[in-house]
Amino acid sequence: MTGRLAQLQIVDHPQYAEEARLSHNVEQTVTDRRGALLDRNGYPLAASEDTFDVMVERDAWKARAPGDEAVSKLTGVISVPAQQLLDQLNSTDIFEVDAARNLSFEKAEAVRKAGLDGVRLVSSSHRVYPEGNMAAQVLGFVGRDSSGLTGLEADLDSVLAGTKGSLTAERDGLGRDLAFGRREEVAPQPGADVVLTIDRYIQRLAEQELDRTVKENKASGGTIVVVQPKTGEILAMASRPTFDVTALDLSDDSKLALYRDRAITDMYEPGSVFKLVTTAAALDLGLVSPDTWWYDSGVFKASEWYVHNWDFSANGPQTVQQMLSKSLNTGAAWVAQQLGPDRFYDYVSRFGFGRPSGIGLSGDAPGRVRTPQDDGNWRDIDMATNSFGQGISVTPLQMAMAVATIANNGLAMKPQIVKETVSPAGRQSNAPQPLQQVISPASAQTLRNMMGVVVDGINKHYLDVQGYKIGGKTGTANLATADAGYKDQAYISSFVGIAPLDDPAIAVLVKIDEPQGVPWGTVVAAPAFSRLVQQTLTYLNIPPTEEALVSKLGQ
Amino acid sequence: MATAPRTQTRAVIAELVQSPTLPVLLILAAMVIGIAALLPLVQSSGATTTAGNIQALEQEKTSWQAQLRELETQVATLGSLNRIEAEARDRLGMEPPQVTHYITVDVPPPESQKLPSRFLPNEHPKPQSESSLWKDLFGWMLP
Repeated sequence: MTGRLAQLQIVDHPQYAEEARLSHNVEQTVTDRRGALLDRNGYPLAASEDTFDVMVERDAWKARAPGDEAVSKLTGVISVPAQQLLDQLNSTDIFEVDAARNLSFEKAEAVRKAGLDGVRLVSSSHRVYPEGNMAAQVLGFVGRDSSGLTGLEADLDSVLAGTKGSLTAERDGLGRDLAFGRREEVAPQPGADVVLTIDRYIQRLAEQELDRTVKENKASGGTIVVVQPKTGEILAMASRPTFDVTALDLSDDSKLALYRDRAITDMYEPGSVFKLVTTAAALDLGLVSPDTWWYDSGVFKASEWYVHNWDFSANGPQTVQQMLSKSLNTGAAWVAQQLGPDRFYDYVSRFGFGRPSGIGLSGDAPGRVRTPQDDGNWRDIDMATNSFGQGISVTPLQMAMAVATIANNGLAMKPQIVKETVSPAGRQSNAPQPLQQVISPASAQTLRNMMGVVVDGINKHYLDVQGYKIGGKTGTANLATADAGYKDQAYISSFVGIAPLDDPAIAVLVKIDEPQGVPWGTVVAAPAFSRLVQQTLTYLNIPPTEEALVSKLGQ
Repeated sequence: MATAPRTQTRAVIAELVQSPTLPVLLILAAMVIGIAALLPLVQSSGATTTAGNIQALEQEKTSWQAQLRELETQVATLGSLNRIEAEARDRLGMEPPQVTHYITVDVPPPESQKLPSRFLPNEHPKPQSESSLWKDLFGWMLP
C-alpha cells in the first residue's frame, strides 16, 4: 500500500496533476467578429454570423448507450448519428471532442435548453455571402479557423481578423463553469470592415455577360474588367471558370486552379488591342497622325521574317486610322519600326506592361516583355509581332489599365480594389494614386477619337450602345502554349473600350478564351461589351448624348 | 494580601453561576456566534448567486448578439440583387428592357433606398446653421 501511494503521489504525480488541470481548467482562444467585405456602396459581399460548436466531454459520455435519453436529445439537434458520436468519444484521447460545428443560433439554443451535463457550447463564426457566388475569386474564402486562405480574405487577413483574445476558467467535474471559480479573460478585438471599389451591380452585370458569352461561344473561359479611369478603381473584375464559394470542397485538388484570380494572375497574348499602345507611342512622339499614310503591300519584312495581315490582304496606301480600323498587322509593325525598339519598349513599360500592376493582391503577375536589353535572343521580328500584341504576354488587368490610361488623358492611375477600411478606431481611405503621365492629353484625345472611328466601322449588330458615343478596339490572338508555341485553332477574342467617348467614365476589357466557331473579337467579345456598357452607363446615371435625346423625343 | 481579591472573584463567579439570567446569556452568546459563523456562508452564497447571474446575463448577451448578427445577414440576403431580380421577375412580372429610351424629366431622381444595416457607411449629418440670441436679436433689428 505504501508503494502504491508513493507511485500515485510521487512517480505519477505530474501525469495526474496534468489530468486534473485539464479537467478543471478550460483555456481557449476567443475571437471577435471577422470584418466584412463590402462593395463600394456598403453592401456586404462577405460577412460573418455567429455560430456555435458543440463540445462533448469524453469521460462523462463515453459509457453512454445510443438509446440513452441525453444522447438522443443531443444527436437529434445536431443531426449526428448517435453511434457515430459515441464511437468518436471512445476512440479519442483528448478530454473533449467537437460533436458539431457551426450550429445555428436556434439549434444552439435547443442544445442549451436541454441542459446536458458534459456538453458545452463554444462561440464560433461562419462566413456568409449575401450576394451568393459573386466575385468569388476576388473575395476568396476562409478556412475552418476563419483565417483567410485565398483572395482578399487572405491578403487582408490581418485587417479582417482583428485581434484574438483568451479565456481561462475553472469548471466542475461535469464540465460546467464554476460560478465562483478562477476566470481570466483577455477580450478580443473585432476585425475591420473593408469597403472595396467593386460595385455589386456592375460586378453582377459583368458576370452575367461573361457567363452568357462563354456559354454562347462554347468558350473555355474569359475575363471582364471594368475600371473607373479617373481613379483607377476597379468597378468589376470577373473571370471564368470559377468556383462556388458557398459550397467549397477543399479536398478536391482538381479545383485548386479555379481559386486564383485570373484577371491578375493569368498572362495571355493580347493581340490587336495592343495596337492601341503602339499607336499611342507614335502619336505621342509626333511620328504619325491619324492621316499619316504608308503603303500596305500585304507583307512587312523584319530581317529575314515576314509579317502578314490577319486576312492576308494587301490594301495599298493606308492611313494610321485605317491601320487601326482594319486592324492591319503590317501597319502596326510599320508604326513600331518608326519608333525603334528603345522608344517602343519604353512606352510599353510606361503603360505598365512587364511589371506587376500594383493592385496589392497576391499573384499580381508582371507579364512577359522581351526587350533587346534583357534578352539576348531578341530579334527585329519580336518588335514587329509585339506591335500587334503577339509574342508579348500581359494580364487582363494590365490591358484594362492601359486603356484606362488612354481614357484618363494619358495619366496612368494605380489600380485599386480597396476603397477604405472601417474599424472601431476610425476610417482609413485609399486616395487615388496617379503613377505617371504616359502620353500627353492631346495624344490621348487623338487616340480616343481614333477609337471612336474604329467603333463606327463595326456592324451595329455586334456593337451598339444606344444613346452614347463610345470608342474601342477588337483583338483576336493565337493562344500561346507553355513551350513558346501556339495551340492549333485556339484563339483569344477580346474587346477593349471606353465610354462615353467625350468624358470616359469607364474603361472595359472583355476577353474570351478559346471560343468555338468564329473567333473574331468583333463577333465574340464586342456584343458582351455592348450590353454591359449600355446597362452600366444607365446605372451610373450618365446622361446620353443630346442627339439621342432629341431623336427619341421625336419618335 | 492576595487572598482578598481571589476570594472576591470566586464570589462573583459563584453569584453569576447561580444567577437565573445565565442560561439566557449563554443562549444569546451561542446565537451571536452562530450568526457570525453563518455570515461567510451567506456572503459566499450571495457572491455565487451574483456570479451565476453574471454568467446567465453574459449568455443572454451572446444569444442576443448572435440573433442580431443573424438578422443582419438575413437583411443583407433579402437585399441581394439575385433576390430583387427574382421578386421583380416572378412576383411583379417585370422583364429586362429590350430597347432603351432616354427622356428628360424636370424632377430630381428619387433618393436611393439603403439597407438598414451596420455594414453601411455612416451618413454624414448635414451641418445645421447655428442660432443664437444675438443672431436672432440682430436679425430682428436689421432689415
